[in-house]
Amino acid sequence: MKLLSIELKKILPYKTFWIIIGLYFLFLALGIIMAEYIVNAMVDDVNKRLPIPLPHAVLFYFPDIWQNLTFFASIRFVLIFPAIIVIILITNEFTNKTVRQNIVNGMSRSEFIYSKLQVVFMLALIITVILMLVMLTLGLIHSDSQSLSLMLNGFSFVIGFFIQMLTYLCFAFFVAFMLRNTGLAIALFTLYTIIIEPVIYFLLRAPFIWENTVYTYLPVNSVIRIVEYPSIPALKKLMNFQLQDQVTLLACAVPMIYAAVMIGIVYLTFNKRDL
Amino acid sequence: METILSINQLSKRYGRIQAVNKLSLEVVKGQVFGILGPNGSGKSTTLGMILDLIRPDSGSFTWFGEHPSKESRKRIGAVIETPNFFPYLSARKNLEIVAKVKDYDNSDIERVLRTTGLYDRKNDKFKTYSFGMKQRLAVASALLNNPDILILDEPTNGLDPQGIAHIRELILQVASEGITIILASHLLDEVQKICNYVAVLNKGNILFSGEVHDVLAISDCIELASADNAALKAAIEAHPAFHSIIESDGILLVVFSEDVRPGAISEYLHQKNISLSHLTERKRTLEQHFLELLKDNES
Repeated sequence: MKLLSIELKKILPYKTFWIIIGLYFLFLALGIIMAEYIVNAMVDDVNKRLPIPLPHAVLFYFPDIWQNLTFFASIRFVLIFPAIIVIILITNEFTNKTVRQNIVNGMSRSEFIYSKLQVVFMLALIITVILMLVMLTLGLIHSDSQSLSLMLNGFSFVIGFFIQMLTYLCFAFFVAFMLRNTGLAIALFTLYTIIIEPVIYFLLRAPFIWENTVYTYLPVNSVIRIVEYPSIPALKKLMNFQLQDQVTLLACAVPMIYAAVMIGIVYLTFNKRDL
Repeated sequence: METILSINQLSKRYGRIQAVNKLSLEVVKGQVFGILGPNGSGKSTTLGMILDLIRPDSGSFTWFGEHPSKESRKRIGAVIETPNFFPYLSARKNLEIVAKVKDYDNSDIERVLRTTGLYDRKNDKFKTYSFGMKQRLAVASALLNNPDILILDEPTNGLDPQGIAHIRELILQVASEGITIILASHLLDEVQKICNYVAVLNKGNILFSGEVHDVLAISDCIELASADNAALKAAIEAHPAFHSIIESDGILLVVFSEDVRPGAISEYLHQKNISLSHLTERKRTLEQHFLELLKDNES
């Protein structure tokens, strides 16, 4: 608790932290508001070509809301915000050289790493809890008694979302410790998430790989694939294959192994490095 | 005497440059220990290693007779190169973090802020401070809860004369309270004014170490003149401790290889029937020593 309270002393008065957190929830809210509109625009488009039109999708009822909102909250452009916070909080210690001061004052190097991991964990937990409360509220407003009885069916998506947050923030933690430079770390991390990895996927797919495997095992994709699709009955009907209806342990295991390896590398290098 | 710091054969290499070369030294309780050397002589690297910032290639050191650990570092107050604080936090908040890391409560913060003259600005953000104030905050954080030893790396670097005077005054005050101090500096007069023990460092090697007072006394030169300078010169050159002589304007500047007092010289020459018309002891400053030491080392 001592390490966490030191971190809170550093973070809570930090304006940039609140601005990015604010931006994140703003984007998240916009995403949630827009989600239904976007999905139904797609349905309308499809309906033009269908003899029997599909019904409009409703996203915010139990138990589908868990899957729908965690899906929209974990798309790349939204996920990147908390990662940027983690990168800034860690690289700040290097650019302000406060990491040196911490070590000199009697923090061990392992404690320093551990304190940042605690920040990662708390941030992932808090965001998950807030999102969960939003889903709970929206779900209760939109659901009838029948769907209320199924309320907890999709709860694995909340746990899946937490794993997504936690592992993705661990990737950010890794990049921050390795690069130490705020601008460089944010630029490379964003670039990798939004451009480089999708390009790798594109290059690796046809004609080399026909199945979806490699895509899933690339680090950021493995995170995003934990909640692979939103749960939209119309879509299920339209597409001729089984959509996921729960978070699987295997899907969580892949990014968790990545995260564990990255934390291990940080421990090994940071303990040997000159500061 | 209680040993505070003992360094044994510490080495660090950066590529082709041997930054610190098998350096050994010992600091005992109550000493004001100066590490004197030009820029790049290995002072900061040495301090970095004993504070766990830099990993040594070989060698070891102990703090307070124990294997170094985070607990030993909590007993050390250190000002390293630049003042490192969170720019968006006030002086007080920054010191609260320092206190928390060191496992102290906040009860000593007001005192160190007063000591360093920052009390009136304690709630202002660090980034609004002048460089002198930033440096004083670094000293304040080092002084928190009276450490067993204070380490200062170039504490007056980049300060204006008033700032330099203020910091030196502070150091002397701390020294007078009996706190052990290690001061790294490239400024001779700083070491001369503050320290009582000095190690002169160049290219990672200790060239010389000893009490500042001894360094000053070792080879002062003596000015001599008499009616017959030729005879005087011959007599002096025959002295067992004779080192070198320079003649200028009828005055002989003589350097002895060991401490020879003017009285003894007078007596020695009197025995040889030479009466002096001029006898003065000329104290050489540590600066001349320092420059000579560096020159000797280069050649």
